[in-house]
Amino acid sequence: MNKQAFESDIGESYIKAVLPSGLKIFILEKPQYSSAYAIFGTKYGSIDTAFTVNGESVNVPEGIAHFLEHKLFESEDGDAFTRYAETGGYANAFTSFDRTCYLFSCSNRFYDNLAILLDFVQSPYFTEQTVKKEQGIIGQEIRMYDDSASWRVMFNMLLAMYKEHPVRIDIAGTVESIAEIDYNLLYKCYNTFYNPSNMFICIAGNVDADKALKQIEAAIRPSDNIELERGIVDEPDSVSCNYTEQALAVAQPMFCFGYKERVENPERTFKEKICTSLLLEVIAGDASPLYERLVKEGLINDEFDTEYFTGHGYAAVIFDGESSDPKRVAEEIKAEVERLKTEGIDKKLFSAIRCGMYGDAVRRFNNVEGIAMQLVDCAMFDCGLFDEMKYLKTVTLDDVYKRLLLLDGEKSVLSVINPKK
Amino acid sequence: MSGKITKLSNGVEGLFIKNLRFNTTLVSFNLYLPLASDTAAEYALLPFILTTCSKKYPDFSALNYKLARLYGAQLEASAEKLNDCQLLRMSISVINDRFTLENESLVKQASDLLVKLLFEPNTENGAFFTEDLAREKRKAIEHIRSEVSEKRTYAKNRLISEMYQGKAYGVPKCGTEDDVLTITGESLYDAWQRLLRSAFVRVQVVGAAVPYGLFEDIAEKFSAIERNDITDVKKCDFTAPADEPRTVTEYMDIAQGKLVMGFSSELAGDDDNSLPLMIMTDVFGGGPYSRLFSNVREKMSLCYYCSATSVRQKGLLTVDSGVESENAEKAQKEILNQLETVKNGDFTDFEYESSLKSIADSLNTYNDSQMSLDLWYALKISNNTLYSPEDIALKISAVTKEDVKKAACGIKLHTVYKLLPKEAAK
Repeated sequence: MNKQAFESDIGESYIKAVLPSGLKIFILEKPQYSSAYAIFGTKYGSIDTAFTVNGESVNVPEGIAHFLEHKLFESEDGDAFTRYAETGGYANAFTSFDRTCYLFSCSNRFYDNLAILLDFVQSPYFTEQTVKKEQGIIGQEIRMYDDSASWRVMFNMLLAMYKEHPVRIDIAGTVESIAEIDYNLLYKCYNTFYNPSNMFICIAGNVDADKALKQIEAAIRPSDNIELERGIVDEPDSVSCNYTEQALAVAQPMFCFGYKERVENPERTFKEKICTSLLLEVIAGDASPLYERLVKEGLINDEFDTEYFTGHGYAAVIFDGESSDPKRVAEEIKAEVERLKTEGIDKKLFSAIRCGMYGDAVRRFNNVEGIAMQLVDCAMFDCGLFDEMKYLKTVTLDDVYKRLLLLDGEKSVLSVINPKK
Repeated sequence: MSGKITKLSNGVEGLFIKNLRFNTTLVSFNLYLPLASDTAAEYALLPFILTTCSKKYPDFSALNYKLARLYGAQLEASAEKLNDCQLLRMSISVINDRFTLENESLVKQASDLLVKLLFEPNTENGAFFTEDLAREKRKAIEHIRSEVSEKRTYAKNRLISEMYQGKAYGVPKCGTEDDVLTITGESLYDAWQRLLRSAFVRVQVVGAAVPYGLFEDIAEKFSAIERNDITDVKKCDFTAPADEPRTVTEYMDIAQGKLVMGFSSELAGDDDNSLPLMIMTDVFGGGPYSRLFSNVREKMSLCYYCSATSVRQKGLLTVDSGVESENAEKAQKEILNQLETVKNGDFTDFEYESSLKSIADSLNTYNDSQMSLDLWYALKISNNTLYSPEDIALKISAVTKEDVKKAACGIKLHTVYKLLPKEAAK
């Protein structure tokens, strides 16, 4: 086992270990805490609908990663929830665009909970009958999201922004696509993406790292070496259309406005991500002149938010919220971006925002769940937990300005949900 | 890790919850007022207007700039419904001084800022400024309107307003759109003055130490005010059983229906006697081991979610689920059927023990979250003893299976609210 320790100047430290199978393990001890949070995850999400494994090209239905997540909780003699009920731990799982994570949180019997997690994630059990039953439950989950305006506004934007990349498809798929899933396909995906070389375990909280490492090492089952290649999508730089709208039972319009970024490498570096987050605060953070103007003119409210949305092969800078006039909000954002390109970024504002983000980075070490989630990013993108804090001390206005130049109004999309008449 | 209460002035107390594990210090001002339809909207506006501008920072950008300079101090406001009270909250959380790059005294600065925001708003001649008022009124109205966009919350709120018509608990926590429209700069100023005069106040600190001089400052400021008619935070009507359960059905242009059911509970109040209701609710519709999850969702596939929650102080239990309209009747029948099994004591030792373990485990994680701890104590206001989450975790271990059964026997269906797709009306 290859093991390294990392320390920060705010008194936190963690270890990173890589097992011979390729499984990555990250553990941050917080002995003064009462609880611990553990995640067993795989770099496998809704975007992985086409891939090559050991030379064989495979295409699978949309929504299969999420479907697999639901099914993995079941085994021949009951489900994982029943086993967690014995220990009292809180268990859950989620699937996003680029990852599937199984997690638990507990204040008692950590190692028993860890044993359950290690066992059920490595024990797939799919049958024709159980797959059928799940199609009903997931179908209802999909329909629930059909009514969620905040969900629809985002996916409508992605549909207009991406022509080829599977990020444009709902994480859970569609009622039609999940109907194509059968247990053979589930095993195919499981055996590909749930190989230890594609997986990680991240733990934070009241835990003894050495003891946990030993337990994990003993529990990881032998696996075949696989050659996995993720599908590379030839996504054009342009968007399908600049505007999309839908009517739903909402009281006032909601919007999601995004700039599609040109993606030269499949993944963004952590520096690029931090600079873009800083940039979003400069453009429309709550201390920015644009934010002040939009609020004063009655165009946005406290729901307004920004996000750097990025994963394997996609990146977009997003502004979302509620507004009586979403088109004007989008115009104002575009105008501000162009103004900043010409006039440059205000030094005083940049320095205050950088200070605020440093504080946020320190604050995040309060929360074991948040730390475990950050460790997942470290595992997926090969970066360090303290990199952000370090980089925030040295990042310059020019670094951020360079990210600004990537925003091109021609490649922006405004998605609006209007109230149904 | 229980807190210590210090009396600061008439109806004003300070609570220090010492906890050394966080990198930050959190200070919250909790102001309790009676929940009433004629005052809910203006009171609810106060924490928001007070945290967006002040005498010193008349412009919210200037205030937000200051917060960024305080290493991203988080200033939060909210208006909540707590039993028959309205709870207005203003809080600030800031990283501890030792984490600053140049040894700045952040905690003191942040706590002073919060005090100034409450006591020195941006007003002139006994009124808030028109521009500030218009902005906050618009935001409040948009917030009230947006409730309909999230159908699950909307349906639950509709059930509560149907169940508690004409009663304090039925009043929406931020009032109605019409009420917001009538607020003027003067009326809001009066509301602010009444708040300072008559709210029951709890100033809470979660962190390593109370910011220097905070409690003294608060004591001095409130002692200078003539405090009267202070909110009786213990006053709360229990939910009376309905003579006949009522069903309200509404239709909307949606894909999936919502079925929400409200029940009265004989066990009510914030004392130890009502603890079995907490366990009963969980056995019935809490975790994945519960009757509702394992039967209504897993075995019968009637809905993606179906869960129960209760408000012990009010003696209220609710079940909410998302259902296809053709399954609504069947789901309702099965939910009531599962309630009967709990009433008959036909739940397993496994379900009962899982529930005790799960609740205790989760209560014991509270000390790891500054916000959860702060909120826990802010909501524990009507009880005579200040119990910590661990105290309750210990107490529930004494709740027996028989207690759970008895708690269930006191549950009676009060109101059913259904929100169905328009096609279902045809």
